[in-house]
Amino acid sequence: MSKSFDFLPHVKSREATKLLPWVMAIMVYLSALAATGSLLLHSGFDDWANSLQGRVTVQIIGEDRDLIHLQALEIKEVLRKTPGIRSVRIIPDDEITALLEPWLGVGNITDDLPIPMMLDVETDVDSYVNLEALEAKVKQVTDTVYLDDHARWLSHFYTLAYTIEYTALGILIMILLASISIVIFGTKSSMAEHKNIIEIMHLMGAHDQMIAQAYQKRFMQYGLKGGFYGLIIALLTVYGLLNLVQNIAGGLVEMPSLPYLKLSILLIFPFIFAALAMMTARITVLRELGRMV
Amino acid sequence: MVEFRNVSMSYDKGSDVLKDISFKLEPGSMHFLTGPSGAGKTSLLKLMYLAHRPSRGEIIMFGQDVSKASRTELPKLRRRIGVVFQDFRLLDHMSAVENVALPLRIAGGSGPQINEHVEELLRWVGLDDRMNANPSTLSGGEKQRVAIARAVIRRPDILLADEPTGNVDPEMGERLMYLFVELNKLGTTIVIATHDTGLVEKIGASKLHLEGGNLLHIEGTMNDFEEES
Ligand SMILES: Nc1ncnc2c1ncn2[C@@H]1O[C@H](COP(=O)(O)OP(=O)(O)OP(=O)(O)O)[C@@H](O)[C@H]1O
Ligand SMILES: [Mg+2]
Repeated sequence: MSKSFDFLPHVKSREATKLLPWVMAIMVYLSALAATGSLLLHSGFDDWANSLQGRVTVQIIGEDRDLIHLQALEIKEVLRKTPGIRSVRIIPDDEITALLEPWLGVGNITDDLPIPMMLDVETDVDSYVNLEALEAKVKQVTDTVYLDDHARWLSHFYTLAYTIEYTALGILIMILLASISIVIFGTKSSMAEHKNIIEIMHLMGAHDQMIAQAYQKRFMQYGLKGGFYGLIIALLTVYGLLNLVQNIAGGLVEMPSLPYLKLSILLIFPFIFAALAMMTARITVLRELGRMV
Repeated sequence: MVEFRNVSMSYDKGSDVLKDISFKLEPGSMHFLTGPSGAGKTSLLKLMYLAHRPSRGEIIMFGQDVSKASRTELPKLRRRIGVVFQDFRLLDHMSAVENVALPLRIAGGSGPQINEHVEELLRWVGLDDRMNANPSTLSGGEKQRVAIARAVIRRPDILLADEPTGNVDPEMGERLMYLFVELNKLGTTIVIATHDTGLVEKIGASKLHLEGGNLLHIEGTMNDFEEES
């Protein structure tokens, strides 16, 4: 029917809508960061939680190093005969020392420090190992042995991770809502600015569609242009931050590997925002025009 | 072609600026709309070019009551009406040529033949050298001619002109009137609001006279303007 016809004037510096690509850039930037944070946390946490699953740590406490060493050997034997347990390994002292060093400082770990014996137990992932039964079994060797399958504090971490993840999702939704509001605001302000032009177009027989098309095209361009720049800055930020974190925390914490595939979803953000701007502008224009004669 | 049946009109629920107006214009006729300033000439034209709806009464155009036409019907009806606005209402961000081409482009036209047609008409109204000028750089009379060219470019069924010769010298005024008369001969129904009684006398078309929102009388017949000019 009515062909598209861009009758709107080119944006002049004094126009309010001139700011829209900037706003879109910021919105895409913020949402890309929120999404990245959520994704990184999600995949990083999953990797880490998976590495802990199927593992039980056995800890034997005692003043007498030799005694707990013997007890450790005995427990190792017990565990090896237990079905559902794949491997048992006594964690060597220097490994424990290495784990503690970042916290206590190099050279501060002296012989009189009561360092526990620790066993790393790998269970069959498929078969369920009853922790309580296992604990009862090893307690026969000594009272001062403790088993930990990390489940309890993992569950705390799960709660934390999910909270952060959903918060990021909430931020994302808020940014989208804010963007929609700004586009509505911009569309209305532009329509008020070009009221005269729209009226003339109407009086000469232009359909509402023609007017809406001119606006939706323009706002889509704002979204694409702003979104593109916002995304580039966001990618640079993510890259820079990860590098920084890796330099600082290298060795101390295992960095999650970048989920590149998942992160590629960021590439569609400018398009999502452009489509959102386009649809919002269209609906706003048609609704506003509906109120005219 | 146009029939008003007991039409009243007001702005924003104010008092009536047009009061119980009834008249009928035959297809292909030509009329002057006269009356003192504030009488309601522009308001009456607004009803006819479908920019405003009456508060009472019926307006029959193109065989339907346009006062009750839905929004989606309006564009189709408006495309059959050409309007010269009292304040021209040219689009300042477009050149003269683009302004005149506007009705054609809105109707879905494109391509070079549009521009040829537009330029021809602009030459005819004496704007050969101002075709690509921005309206804000044109004189009042030049703007008026662009506005007239825009109103007639699509050869409308009805042409409504609000003071179309107010800003041009008498010679150009007559030339533009000649354009209207020619258009009228091709079958366009024409209504021209004007203060220029001299011109009205000269052409002597029928006259709708408004005073204080009341239609006082319709008189006169068309003289043979072409022979005089
Ligand atoms: N947009 C408007 N809102 C409210 N009142 C208006 C509006 N336009 C015109 N009027 C009023 O309506 C009455 C008729 O105005 P109109 O413009 O139709 O007169 P006119 O005959 O065209 O006058 P002129 O010869 O000066 O152009 C006037 O009293 C005017 O004040
Ligand atoms: Mg007037």
